[in-house]
Amino acid sequence: MRVAFLLNDLQLSGGVGVVVQHARRLSLLQGWDVTLVMVREQDDGGWQGYEDLASLQVRSRTEALDEHYDIAVATWWETTFTLFEMSAERYAYFVQSLEDRFYDHDKAERLGASITLDLPVAFITEARWIVETLSSLRPDARCYLVRNGVDKSVFAVPESVEPSLDAPLRILVEGSARVWHKQVPEAISAVSAMREPHHLTVVSGDPESLAGVAADRVVGPVDHAGMAELYREVDVVVKLSRVEGMSGPPLEGFHCGATCVVTPVTGHEEYVEHGFNGLITDWDDPMGTARLLDLLARDRSLLHFVRSNAIETARAWPDWEQSSQFMTTALLTIAREPQPDAVAPSAHLLADLRAGIDAYSRHLEAVRWQPVAHWLLGLRRYRIVRVLSRPLRPLIRRYRQRH
Amino acid sequence: MTDWQERITRDTAPAIQIEHELRYRAAEPLIRASGVWADLGCGNGIAASAALADVPRKRVVLVDVETSVVARAASELGAPDARQLVADLTDPGDLARIAEELTGAEAERIVTCFEVIEHLATFTPLIEWATALAREHGVTFVISVPNDAFWSISNPYHSSSWGEGSIEELRRLLPSEQTLVRQVALTGSVFVSWEAESHQHELVADVGGGATIATHFIAAFGPRHGALQLGALAAQADQLAQRRWERQRESNLALAEARLRELDGQFEAWRAYIQKLESELATLKPGAQAGK
Repeated sequence: MRVAFLLNDLQLSGGVGVVVQHARRLSLLQGWDVTLVMVREQDDGGWQGYEDLASLQVRSRTEALDEHYDIAVATWWETTFTLFEMSAERYAYFVQSLEDRFYDHDKAERLGASITLDLPVAFITEARWIVETLSSLRPDARCYLVRNGVDKSVFAVPESVEPSLDAPLRILVEGSARVWHKQVPEAISAVSAMREPHHLTVVSGDPESLAGVAADRVVGPVDHAGMAELYREVDVVVKLSRVEGMSGPPLEGFHCGATCVVTPVTGHEEYVEHGFNGLITDWDDPMGTARLLDLLARDRSLLHFVRSNAIETARAWPDWEQSSQFMTTALLTIAREPQPDAVAPSAHLLADLRAGIDAYSRHLEAVRWQPVAHWLLGLRRYRIVRVLSRPLRPLIRRYRQRH
Repeated sequence: MTDWQERITRDTAPAIQIEHELRYRAAEPLIRASGVWADLGCGNGIAASAALADVPRKRVVLVDVETSVVARAASELGAPDARQLVADLTDPGDLARIAEELTGAEAERIVTCFEVIEHLATFTPLIEWATALAREHGVTFVISVPNDAFWSISNPYHSSSWGEGSIEELRRLLPSEQTLVRQVALTGSVFVSWEAESHQHELVADVGGGATIATHFIAAFGPRHGALQLGALAAQADQLAQRRWERQRESNLALAEARLRELDGQFEAWRAYIQKLESELATLKPGAQAGK
């Protein structure tokens, strides 16, 4: 079985790490030949953290175009641009999140990412909410579920957690401050609003973006083993993300004896149970988040209860070995089934493209008239204009509601 | 005192025996109508025998990893002419041998495979093999896995962990002709006559709703998946054995707590003694002497 996974690059990130884990394990199976295809031009720094690629092959896009594969798998929306250039018997798309949500509403990438879900491919995804969404968006498409495993040799589950009796609540916030949907500054700010004694560790791939934040220590970048060490040092992981596929860090924290305080972000429902193994806070509620953290700091019985249940949840979570067996079976099933017909997906794609064009036309229209509208609204500082414009108030109200 | 005995024996807890028997009862209409029935991971055949005692079976194929176990199952089932196979369900060669037994004759075929998948080092060959047989040869499968995720049971005999998430992963790999069922534990009580005569009660059980947590998940797939029979099974609990087990545990716990209290007391005494020694030591330090 010749499989090609298409990646933009090999930068250290959760999404790339998942693909590499699967590819690495598949490549160890007898009769499997697995290639990572880099669809972008690579510089020398692109291999950090992935030195051990076992029997995996890494090819550039140009090199891969000369090869033939049984299955070519896109792994990020931009990699679909190369997917159908590849010579393959079957085409699949490993969807780790609905990636249009990474972009602001007026960014062209948002439309680009969303319409890639209309392609004539078999889908593989990592969370039940994505399966359900894809099944309703694309009832014609086959969609397989392969949840991410956890490396239990690195994130080893302890027999039990040591009760944290009276020390300041040890908190960890993880993520890049530059990625808006990770909400790292908001998480730090919520921790700062705590009344109870606490100790905050912030871990980031780009710690320079966190200069001057109210944290006891800022560390990073950190590899998986380093992350496991940090999780073992804390009681709770705070994650206030707005967009996630299945949100790995709180689960990795569970494996190391830390509970979590998280927003009800997509994917949290795979393993977080409010009041059982973690706490769920509301959106845009730093004070509420701070009060939940204060509660954990004050009520050490509750803290121990949720931490103990967190490691039990972790114990039952599949490792990469099990996850890889599902990936293997999914790819074998995709290879056995016929390549999806392109007619129904084309209709979906064109309908979404038309809706996107309409939305952008309206958006561009609004942008074009915005300076005029602002100038007109500015005239309202003159009393005579306010009096004369009284009959236009409903129209002005409607304009303001829209913009 | 967790009992990690994985094979069902006559000493297995009644609740577990009943769970296992019910799974065979669920497959009973399929087995009754089949020309060939294969039981993968047949074990000692105790639960199958209890569930299928009166069910006529044309051709039986019993499969497990030990010769003696398969022979015992054949004896327990009263099926000495059953085909007895020792096979590794992760080995494509062994799976091919079982397929030959199943597809050798033109007949309706049913395969039961209860509480086996979680024991396999890799389940990919079995799933691939089963879905191919269901698709290409019209074989109907009934399989079960435990809900490890809910109880977070770390069973040393289990190579994979199953729960709502993994059953959803599996479901999407199975043919679309499929029925999924949750197996749920019951609790109950019953009146018996003063003389405690043997008697069978009709039982009405209100089940389902928000508190429905599965102990196991059952999946039937293949052309006759819809014939899976829903039902409930209850038996008198062995309160004597349960009381002994619970009292033993309570007794052990009380003993451990008493020992802990004793050690705490000793620790406090030692701490006081060490503090006293430290303060005496401080008085002997050269600086302390010089200060006198």
